[in-house]
Amino acid sequence: MYKTIIFSLVMCLCCSLMLTFTATWLKPYQLQNILIDQQTNILKSVGLIDSHKIYSDADISDMYNRSIKCLWLDPSGRVVPTQNTTGSNLLHIYLYMKNDEIEAYAIPIDTRGLWGTISGYLALKNDGQTIIGFTVYKHFETPGLGGEIEKTWFQKNFQNKKIVNQQGQFVSVGVAKGKADQSVSIDHHVNFVDGISGATLTGKYLTEGFKEILAEYEPVSIQFRQQRASYLTQGGSCKQ
Amino acid sequence: MMDNKYIQALIDPMWGKNPISVQMLGICSSLAVTVQMKTAIVMGLSLTFVVAISNLLISVLRKWIPKNIRIIAELCIMASLVIVADEFLKAFFYGISKQLSVFVGLIITNCILMGRAETFALGNPPLLSFIDGIGNGLGYTLVLTVVSFIRELFGSGTLLGFQVIPDIAYSAGYQNMGFMQLAPAAFIIIGLWVWLQKTWLRPSR
Repeated sequence: MYKTIIFSLVMCLCCSLMLTFTATWLKPYQLQNILIDQQTNILKSVGLIDSHKIYSDADISDMYNRSIKCLWLDPSGRVVPTQNTTGSNLLHIYLYMKNDEIEAYAIPIDTRGLWGTISGYLALKNDGQTIIGFTVYKHFETPGLGGEIEKTWFQKNFQNKKIVNQQGQFVSVGVAKGKADQSVSIDHHVNFVDGISGATLTGKYLTEGFKEILAEYEPVSIQFRQQRASYLTQGGSCKQ
Repeated sequence: MMDNKYIQALIDPMWGKNPISVQMLGICSSLAVTVQMKTAIVMGLSLTFVVAISNLLISVLRKWIPKNIRIIAELCIMASLVIVADEFLKAFFYGISKQLSVFVGLIITNCILMGRAETFALGNPPLLSFIDGIGNGLGYTLVLTVVSFIRELFGSGTLLGFQVIPDIAYSAGYQNMGFMQLAPAAFIIIGLWVWLQKTWLRPSR
């Protein structure tokens, strides 16, 4: 009896020591990987990554530092200097700069999925209404069903969709149930992407998430629609 | 004689006592991770690491492990090793670890681990158990590699991520077999393997 208890205690202690050691030792490498992965996804969402090419970590951070600028904005879309980024309701965008002009901006999407948070980026063109890309870098959806959101075929469907309707009103973008051209009326084709069969709920949560997050960022998007938001280029920057 | 035993422990599980095609263990993960060769090989090596070290540790502790908590103790050792392997992949093979997602964590449910611990490590000395673990891990890796070779070649026209079927073939009307990308394809390939191996081995019995 005593032997059993002592054995289990010692074994648990040894195992936990081993795990603690590994986790602490590998943490910096993992954080670096996550950072690079995030940067890759931002670059991918604005269309800078060629999926047939292989990039090294250095290529990615180099490209990121050259073309992406990150900004904090207050809820009305004004730039907040980097110093006081403690507010919780601040908006966060990534600008894709080309020859000192804003080409596109990526909005971080963190929304509820079926099994956990889905994290990714939705990039909009500088007209404030056309989507140029969507990427997912973290999710817990079922592989093969909802997990398809991380696949290129699903993400490619977002390209050239709009977050406004034909009258120019904000309506957000949604995931249709089944094929978009069969399940939504023709006026709304531009606001819907094809759904994933077997993953209706994942699609539903994504639609809700887009609506909520894009509505929050609507002040920024309006600025882009009206004046291509050139004012933003004078703003500060932020570290991740 | 001594050397023989070790060599046998290493070679046997690769073919004659292969964990997948003969012992029928670990089929589940071999369906899931064999769409691409890269993931299959990394998965196979991770499993080899876990099964070898867990066999070694369990064999070292086999006289100490109290009989009434035997299975829990084995699981505890394996689970810790699986987490180590998972963390390691996350640190050094991030892209692959994302593709393997839950399957590395699920090595713990791989029957090969429990099977080797119960049938071998508990009754054999450490070094022999360690070699048996390596042998079984490599046997598993071998099946995974071959299955993923077939699936990746016919399913996506690539090997280890490099395109091998030329563009000319595609423009001439060649198409990838979508079926090879689905799990049932692995089932059929493994089934054929088992059948071939059984007919092949029969005369020697």
